[in-house]
Amino acid sequence: MEALNLRDDMGENSAIAAHNSMQLIAFSIGEQTYGVEITTVREIRAWNGATPLPNTREFVRGVINLRGTIVPIFDLRARFGDGPTSPTKNHVVVVMSVGDKWVGILVDAVSDILTVSREDIHNVPEGNSVDTELLNGIVTHDSRMVGLIDLHAVVSGAKLDG
Amino acid sequence: MSDLDDFKATYFDECSELLNELEEQFAAIEAGERDSDRLNAVFRAIHSIKGGAGAFGFSALVGFAHAYETLLDYVRDGRVELTDDVCALCIRANDIIADHVKAAQSGDVLDADYGMEEKERFDALARGEAADDDETGGESIEEFDIDFTPVMVNLDAVEEVAEAPAAEDAFDTAPLQPETGHWEVTFTPHRALFERANDPLLLFRELALLGQMHTRAVLGEIPPLANFEPFAVYCTWEISIVSPTVTEAAIREVFEFVEGDCDITVTQVGAPAAAAPVAKAAPAAAADDGLDLLALADDEVGVPAAPAAKAAAPKADAAAQDKFEEAPGLSFSELAETMAPPPKPVAPPRAKPAAIAPAAAPAAEGEDHGTRAVGVQSIRVDLDKVDRVVNMVGELVITQSMLTQQMDETLRARYTELVRGLEVLAQTTRGLQDSVMAIRAQPVKSVFSRMPRLVRELATKTGKKIKLETIGENTEIDKTVIEQLSDPLTHMIRNSADHGIEQPDVRLGRGKSETGTIRLSAEQAGGNILIIVEDDGGGINRERVLQVARDKGVIPPDTNPTDEQIDQLIFAPGFSTAAEVSDLSGRGVGMDVVLSNIKKIGGSVHVRSSTGKGTRMTLRLPLTLAVLDVMLVKVGDSPYVVPLSSIVETIQVSRASFERVPSGGQVLQVRGEYVQVIDLAKRFDMKSQTDQDSRFVVLCEAEGSQKVALIVDDIIGQQQVVIKSLEENFERVEGIAGGTILGDGNVALIVDVQGLKTQLIHKNAA
Repeated sequence: MEALNLRDDMGENSAIAAHNSMQLIAFSIGEQTYGVEITTVREIRAWNGATPLPNTREFVRGVINLRGTIVPIFDLRARFGDGPTSPTKNHVVVVMSVGDKWVGILVDAVSDILTVSREDIHNVPEGNSVDTELLNGIVTHDSRMVGLIDLHAVVSGAKLDG
Repeated sequence: MSDLDDFKATYFDECSELLNELEEQFAAIEAGERDSDRLNAVFRAIHSIKGGAGAFGFSALVGFAHAYETLLDYVRDGRVELTDDVCALCIRANDIIADHVKAAQSGDVLDADYGMEEKERFDALARGEAADDDETGGESIEEFDIDFTPVMVNLDAVEEVAEAPAAEDAFDTAPLQPETGHWEVTFTPHRALFERANDPLLLFRELALLGQMHTRAVLGEIPPLANFEPFAVYCTWEISIVSPTVTEAAIREVFEFVEGDCDITVTQVGAPAAAAPVAKAAPAAAADDGLDLLALADDEVGVPAAPAAKAAAPKADAAAQDKFEEAPGLSFSELAETMAPPPKPVAPPRAKPAAIAPAAAPAAEGEDHGTRAVGVQSIRVDLDKVDRVVNMVGELVITQSMLTQQMDETLRARYTELVRGLEVLAQTTRGLQDSVMAIRAQPVKSVFSRMPRLVRELATKTGKKIKLETIGENTEIDKTVIEQLSDPLTHMIRNSADHGIEQPDVRLGRGKSETGTIRLSAEQAGGNILIIVEDDGGGINRERVLQVARDKGVIPPDTNPTDEQIDQLIFAPGFSTAAEVSDLSGRGVGMDVVLSNIKKIGGSVHVRSSTGKGTRMTLRLPLTLAVLDVMLVKVGDSPYVVPLSSIVETIQVSRASFERVPSGGQVLQVRGEYVQVIDLAKRFDMKSQTDQDSRFVVLCEAEGSQKVALIVDDIIGQQQVVIKSLEENFERVEGIAGGTILGDGNVALIVDVQGLKTQLIHKNAA
């Protein structure tokens, strides 16, 4: 039992450590930088086209084959309401897990891995509903503003009628 | 192979797993992990082995396992300390159990006193502790001191007569217990007991575990055959149980589940009677589906007064009667003898290479722990793992066919070695695919075997005389398909019995035999499995079907469908022609369930009916769900595939052939028939080369044999694809049935023809 307790303590310590800081993958869309927690990212791939999905919203770019499974691609720029991206080979798809599903988001470029303290995460200023809906918070890194993407919000409402 | 042999094979497989688990658990226990979870696991394993052994009548194994279990029980509740000594004894006991199992499997017989030493040590341990422990009170340790003597009420083993050598009854050699309790139980099951699928045989088995039991069937109530009511119960049993420890509560507990469905009296007999030789005990007679079979048989063979030795496997129906008639006079004692292992006082036995377990190696007395594994004929594998292999093989097949397609004539001429290699690859992949599919394949027997009972019930309820014939029940089909097959088949057979087969007098009037026949058959035809339900009833009443379809708005009132189309109408949702909603069918669900279930697994249903002669319904099912034959087309720049099973033909038509209808839609005349048109590019909002003069049209058949023409931009060709789910990472998309990955790695979407057609109707309605 003692060993068990010890393990529990360690678990708590690491939880505290994780609680205090987190690592982000930062990527850019135009001039703006966004980030997602690194633990959710599964893979980063170059844009190589996608098969369009009919009867879905504009921001659903289509589906790709990721080693035998079909993964939907969301155009983050279009999701933010800035119109569809015209992707080139230089554009990047960040494959992430959201719940038990894997999704890809199409961004302009992946810029960095950032370590930020959770205490530095600010709430999104109220006002614009798109911002509050799609961002979990805002964090400042090297005097840049990084918006934390709420993945669940990004992938929801993909159907045309929904 | 009989059902019993199947069960035995499963039991031995399980034993082998359990023995492995025992090894694992004790390895951990020896290493110092002496927690209760491990002990419980050990206890469960031994208990499972014992339970199965009891059911099959391996009395030596049961006896040893019981003593072992008792020790474990004491260890578990702390009455015996789990010292290194005890641990070593347990490990030795595991080996003995393994030997017993192996002997039972190979039909060999172990020394009568094999394991006795260990057993005595179990008892000594238990006793020694009990002496210090006053609380053990009423639970006399004597019980464990003595060779456990299970009373064989399982007479399933009639078949073993030929196999097992006659032997001295082990029960007779068992030391008699000092008796402190003698209970008389009378047990009269009600009809409801059987209707709830309870089986007295199982109750007797339970009772037999309490102590020495003998039963007597009181058959005096059985009426003459003329007055015999098949579903009535005429039998009462008188049971006496002799055991030092048994209580009334324990006996009543056995009957707990049938309380209210039977009459039970439990009385204690003052002075314990001398233990009657168990061998003289009357066996329990029981058959699950009706005691009637048995009782009838009694009458026929003219031994109604004699307690009948009767085997009733849980599934016994007609077979049970057959078995019985083979050995009508076999008394229980004879049976018991044939089942008990004959003591062999001479040398320790060596396992003979038996047909059942060719792998079982001769086991030496105790040293060779390594070779004790009982021969394994099958392994249980997680279905997910198999599916993963199936998927990958599917990919492999497609890659291989893509490679082959890449070889044009010039390449073929230049690289003959490569071509040969590809051919071998093609063969090997095909073989691999077949083997992998065979792993998932199961005989349709598992579904077919449920049908005779259904037909019997239907016949009783409708008052018709119906006979069921099954053909090709060993045809193998993918497990997933089998799981989906049960409901459709039930509905189809119900339909045949309820609507197809006529009442006996009508049949006689039509010059047919009184008894209607439903024939259920399965056969393989190419890459498909055909399941055919055929009856020799009245056929489909087309006038009524058409009338009802019009009344219920299933089809527009002004259309004039062909006979074949009318027949298919019975599968339309919400259609039912039964004048009255009957208990069995006629609620207007049912046949459309058949169609939707079968469509779901990529199959199709076809009906052919001949008035007055009968109806034949054919289910065409894919052999496997992993690979789908499709037509690859282009819509805009994107690849789409249409399942080949729904395609009627592909044609090229000029733009001028499309006609407008008032709703704004388009129709196309194909061979004199106007067909609704769906422009996939428009529907899917794709850019397409609409300026072209002629268009490619894929003519598809949707539900209810209604056709629909899909306009596509190009037709590329046929191929096989592996179906991938869109929902796995996304969600359902309208008009799309799923996705697939093409040879070039791109994703193609599977067109949901039925879905598109339904949408079209809704759109027009709105």
